[in-house]
Amino acid sequence: MALVLLLGAFLGGLFVSRWVLELDRVVVDRFEGRTFSVPSRVFSAPLIVYPGADWQRLELADWLLRLGYREQPEGGALEPGRYVWSPGRLRVHLRAFDHPARPEPARELIFELAQSQVVGIEDVQTSKLMDVVVLEPEPVSAFLGRDREQRDLVEIDEVPPHLVDAIFAVEDQRFTAHHGVDLRRVLGAVLANLRAGRITQGASTLTQQLVKNFFLTPERTFSRKLREACMALIVEARYSKPEILQAYLNEIYLGQRGATAVHGVGEASRLYFGKPAGDLTVAEAALIAAIIQSPNGISPHRHPERAVDRRDLVLGLMRDQGRISNRSYQAALAEPLRLATIQTETGQVRYFLDALSQQLPEVYAGEVLTSEGLRIYSTLDPRLQRAAARALRRGLERIEASVSESPNAEGALQGCLIALRPQTGEVLALVGGRDYGQSQFNRCTQARRQVGSVFKPFVYVAALDRRTGPVVTLASFIQDEPFEVEIPGDDEPWRPENYDRVFRGPVSVREALERSLNVPAARLGQQVGMKRVVELARRLGIRSPLPAVPSLALGTAEISPLELARAYATLANGGRRPTPRMFVDVVEINGMAQESQPLDASVAVLDPATAYLAVSMLEGVVDRGTARRIRSSGLKGPIAAKTGTTDDEFDLWFVGFTPELVAVVWVGYDEPGPVGMPSSRGALPIWADFLKQAAGTQVRGRFAQPRGIVRLEVEPSSGALALPGCPERAQEVFLEGTQPIETCPPTVKEGGSGSGFRRTLRRLFGGG
Amino acid sequence: MGKEGRRPWSAAASVASCLFGLGLAFACVSGCASSKPGASASVEPIRISQALGQGDPARRASVRLVVQGLDEDEANRTQRARGSYERALQVDPTNPYAYLALARHALEVGEAEQALDFIEQAAALFEAEGLRRPEVGVHLIGLRAEALQAGGRAEEAQLYFETAGDLAPAVWRDGTLSASELR
Repeated sequence: MALVLLLGAFLGGLFVSRWVLELDRVVVDRFEGRTFSVPSRVFSAPLIVYPGADWQRLELADWLLRLGYREQPEGGALEPGRYVWSPGRLRVHLRAFDHPARPEPARELIFELAQSQVVGIEDVQTSKLMDVVVLEPEPVSAFLGRDREQRDLVEIDEVPPHLVDAIFAVEDQRFTAHHGVDLRRVLGAVLANLRAGRITQGASTLTQQLVKNFFLTPERTFSRKLREACMALIVEARYSKPEILQAYLNEIYLGQRGATAVHGVGEASRLYFGKPAGDLTVAEAALIAAIIQSPNGISPHRHPERAVDRRDLVLGLMRDQGRISNRSYQAALAEPLRLATIQTETGQVRYFLDALSQQLPEVYAGEVLTSEGLRIYSTLDPRLQRAAARALRRGLERIEASVSESPNAEGALQGCLIALRPQTGEVLALVGGRDYGQSQFNRCTQARRQVGSVFKPFVYVAALDRRTGPVVTLASFIQDEPFEVEIPGDDEPWRPENYDRVFRGPVSVREALERSLNVPAARLGQQVGMKRVVELARRLGIRSPLPAVPSLALGTAEISPLELARAYATLANGGRRPTPRMFVDVVEINGMAQESQPLDASVAVLDPATAYLAVSMLEGVVDRGTARRIRSSGLKGPIAAKTGTTDDEFDLWFVGFTPELVAVVWVGYDEPGPVGMPSSRGALPIWADFLKQAAGTQVRGRFAQPRGIVRLEVEPSSGALALPGCPERAQEVFLEGTQPIETCPPTVKEGGSGSGFRRTLRRLFGGG
Repeated sequence: MGKEGRRPWSAAASVASCLFGLGLAFACVSGCASSKPGASASVEPIRISQALGQGDPARRASVRLVVQGLDEDEANRTQRARGSYERALQVDPTNPYAYLALARHALEVGEAEQALDFIEQAAALFEAEGLRRPEVGVHLIGLRAEALQAGGRAEEAQLYFETAGDLAPAVWRDGTLSASELR
């Protein structure tokens, strides 16, 4: 019998030992490995404010809210992260911005404001007026893992002692004394529960809570409790109290930001108070400790009274346990609850994130992004991003309201809007579809759609290009008359027609593009040669396949909006092709900058004068042509653009630019079907809405005229140089050396056929 | 980076010969580069701080950021300098002074090809704004010389060095442009 018992005890011991060893392995694996998954955060470009800037358009007031700054209406000394408005004045204490290469100090500033303008910026400490202030970038979004947990890791020495005291006071008074399990507290809880006849009191230590969150499921069973207690003892045996406390402070669940779970006191401090944990006051620390028990049930945003009641309870415990003085207690009790506004991201920014992740070096792929806590500084302008999302949403709703449902279309009407800075290629806004939740397919970067007439400028530029020898000037005439092109292998020749099926006879090159006529574009394409058109489009930055067939002149190729944006940016940038750029640098969790993408200089691919001719034509499209609704929408200043509508109105395009911004809008169905209206009524209003929000109705700057351009007056119906006595005249621009020799009235008799360059062109085109 | 280790200026050849193939940058100074070295009128090269307070509010802010970048470059904080230049372009992407400073910066960090592109962009923007004056052009020429030299095109660089050194000997005689000289 004794032998059996001995054997039983031995086997039991063996079993327990093996169990404990197994638990130990689990604990060690977790603690020795990467303890937490920290999603990488994406930040916007900084906000730059200067005297003369329009602070309302810059959304300065919203910036304060989005960054978690809090108003201090009572005045007095401002802490970092606080601001106060007074008539014509904003006083704000900026927090320091921590970045290895672009840090900004904490400082108190006064913005003098008059109506919508910043009229002065003063540094309070130095009393110096400032020419410009760089405000820290906004957190835009994060690359969350499957668990959708967000946390901002803290080191134990960054956490204020009163936060630790508050947590000890309410969650685990004897944390520093016990060994993972507090037997005295367990006994007390058992007695209390027996008296109540149900479970009313828990006895979990912080270590047990940590173990439960790290390793175990939430069910209340004896075996789970046993396992929890055993693991807590192992954790305490293996690790120091500060290590355990730090793990707890980073792990504990503390609420929700939309669909994202907020873990750890660092992230909770930002969620509730818009500041780092190190800056929490005693009252704020007590509130965070208060909600550990039930983060959603005592949520300060949803149940402020409950939250304040429990906060006060925690403060009372802190005082009673001697952790704060009575004076601190009274001061904290009097502190009103001032919460930061919850900033939930709109799903539309995810399209930008997806595109950005494609641009990041491969080393930052997949799990690295969702777990290593990188800080990624992007080129995104959050104000423009919001404007783009708003304009696209409103535009698509308006289109749907004004047309009957497309009979052949499947799914919702879709669209995309991408905006970039032509000189630097920085992507400022990108909305790749109508609803990221419904479809993650990025129509700005992944979709290639037939481009229609937005391709035509490339044909004209190829014909005007000084580098390859210009074939036409803007005042040359092209025949808008029926013609056909034999296509090898096809029985029927290709016979291009205009959108309205009308032929107009001879039209000037400028007018042909302004009115987006198909026949002159097709004829010009034939004249220039489609290989040359393809070569030009490649130089401008188009990478999609471009079959050198006659119909390419009318935009039968399928191209992505991003490519189009780049190609038009090249025209806007004086023939210099930018490289699209979405991130500036990546900073690792330890604060070291790891990967940067310095601004790439744009590359000259087109003679600046030729690019200027294109800009001038596209300005004409806005002033007189198919995009004139831009002007009637109230937009003033330098704007150049082109509409594009493919056959049966399947794809609506609008590409337009100012001296500082190029934006592309596409509208259509994923499975091509008729939208039911042309681009000028569908895509153009979206673009105009976006630009008004981005730049106001008066666009800044001008399209500068480069060297090599001659500006002359011509007689519009003949293109002849207008001399005194010429009855009609209009300004036209020419490459130097290509200006007309013919005059109005004629000075040299040429048998009515013109002379020089112009005569050659007439011979080429058969024009009248 | 200081001025050590760069190519020294050497007087030689006629300036007129330099003009061949030099494009826009040379056009900026062609008026004063038509005579022989020594006889040519020198120019006072531009300092970017002279442009402070000029232009519309965006330009003024942008130029201030460029000057801050030059201060950072002068203190050998090249990353911060780069950040300032990029912010200058965020405020005003058509600011030619920012590209000029970026070109100088690119040379300092060993990006000769980038420098050439920035020089071209600066030249195009100065040109477009009607600011193509000899005091600007001399820097475009000198920086181009540096970029060509750094890119292994010493022979080509020679003509540019000579012209820049002729026009602004106080700055370009040593064949390089420091951040403080541009500031």
